[in-house]
Amino acid sequence: MNVVECKGLAKHQGSVKALDDLSFTIKEDTITGLIGRNGAGKTTLLKILAGYWYESSGEVRVFDEHPFNSLTVSANTILIDDQMSFSNSLTLQELLQEASNFYMNWDMELAQRLFSYFNFDSKQIHENLSKGKKSTFNIIIGLAAKCALTIFDEPTTGMDAAVRKDFYRALLKDYLAHPRTIIISSHHLDEVEDLLEDVLLINEGKRYLHLSIDDLKEYAIGLRGKSAIVRQWLNDKEVIHSQSIGTDRSYVVVKNDFDHDRATRLGIEVSPVSPSDLSVYLTNQKQGGIDDVFSKREFR
Amino acid sequence: MMSLVNVNLGNVVKKQYLFKLRSYVGVFTSLVVLQLIALLFSLGGTGGGGGGSGNFHVMINYYSGDVVIIFTILWVFINGILITTKAYREDDFSFVTNRLTNNLSNILFLLTASLVGGVTAIASGILLKVIRYFFFNAEPIITTFSISTIEIIYGVLATILYVFLFGSLGYLVGSLVQLYKKLAIILPVAFFGILFALASRDIMLVEGVGEFYFKETSFLLFTVKVITTSGILLIVSLTISNRQEVRL
Repeated sequence: MNVVECKGLAKHQGSVKALDDLSFTIKEDTITGLIGRNGAGKTTLLKILAGYWYESSGEVRVFDEHPFNSLTVSANTILIDDQMSFSNSLTLQELLQEASNFYMNWDMELAQRLFSYFNFDSKQIHENLSKGKKSTFNIIIGLAAKCALTIFDEPTTGMDAAVRKDFYRALLKDYLAHPRTIIISSHHLDEVEDLLEDVLLINEGKRYLHLSIDDLKEYAIGLRGKSAIVRQWLNDKEVIHSQSIGTDRSYVVVKNDFDHDRATRLGIEVSPVSPSDLSVYLTNQKQGGIDDVFSKREFR
Repeated sequence: MMSLVNVNLGNVVKKQYLFKLRSYVGVFTSLVVLQLIALLFSLGGTGGGGGGSGNFHVMINYYSGDVVIIFTILWVFINGILITTKAYREDDFSFVTNRLTNNLSNILFLLTASLVGGVTAIASGILLKVIRYFFFNAEPIITTFSISTIEIIYGVLATILYVFLFGSLGYLVGSLVQLYKKLAIILPVAFFGILFALASRDIMLVEGVGEFYFKETSFLLFTVKVITTSGILLIVSLTISNRQEVRL
């Protein structure tokens, strides 16, 4: 069964197209990483899936229902982000109690264990927590709610490295014990790639790639060598990224659809490209990078 | 795969309503403070007059809970607006909800607030007379204590209805502002502008509307008028907020 189905999904915000003709499906019991640059439309997509926002056009189905105003979707979906709002008149411990009233699969034991592991004070008020602590509390809600569709939108905002690591580990352990459909959006693909089964890469509101993480690791290959040789070699290949190293050497990333031996024989170094680097290369608007912004200025 | 949880509307509304009773305690503490202030204002008398001839002089002071009722009405109006704001609305959206259950539980909460507000306002009026009688007994007091129980009940019911009417009005105003933020400025300006414009042509809008609701002598008719009006205000609120996006 598909938990999420989108067909030609679009969302306009004023004159900006946050999402534009986005189509994909997410199968049940998978962990999908939603990857994209700032402003690619990740948050917009997740808010539509959770039923917070409505789409401008196209079709969106979650558990085979239209999520906006669907109680079934709301009861079986939780979206964890840094905008979650909790009452100021309830303590953290009372909030866990309230959450347990609303979410039928709520795991209070897990919630309490995480609560004390991360050193929360029962009497604290959510608003007074630091940014990282707020995020940590929110992920406790997200994990303990055990919703069939659990969505984390940049869940680690403000967390320190140790807590981030703990969270990913907790997420993986909990997923193995209670398989469910999880979507996690992150800027740090390198941090989450060991966790993910699938990657949905979106760029400028459109689907760019939807692959398993293993396929993504194999998707491209990096070539390093003398610029003249590399350029010759490239003639018919799809270049994803290129950059010069020093004066006469180049590093080029191309689609991985050829025999590596021939390249190696020409003295070109062949190396794998990490999914995190690849997603950055794939979603770069133009050839070149931040260096070009400055180098062009120097010529003037 | 986890089996999908089935929920029904009534159940979610009930949970949200109970959640609101626990998390909106501030609403009720502000009522206590406001009614105490109103009581303090009323201790000096809410109206009065005097007159006399020769050695004979009469001073009349009225002591009533009217100020308390007016404070309570303002309180419910403001809270009607408040519970439509982002901070309150989005508390619901951290848990299970949709826009309909959010509105329905808000309406139930307003109803409860009106009940509490109405009963305490009338009780404060009685308390006022008691305080006056026992602590300020410098002058003889002619009390209206002897009114029948049925009259007190009518008084309480009517107050609850007034309070609910203004709560519903506040809720509509709040929902409109949520729909279009600039209405927060446009609405009050337009309201007072129209009021003065009409007054300059000798059309008293407030008095006209007031007469329709407040001068109604039949209790049944009054109840019908208030409930119908509140119903319309709330249905309009429900309709306009049904496509409201959250966590913007």
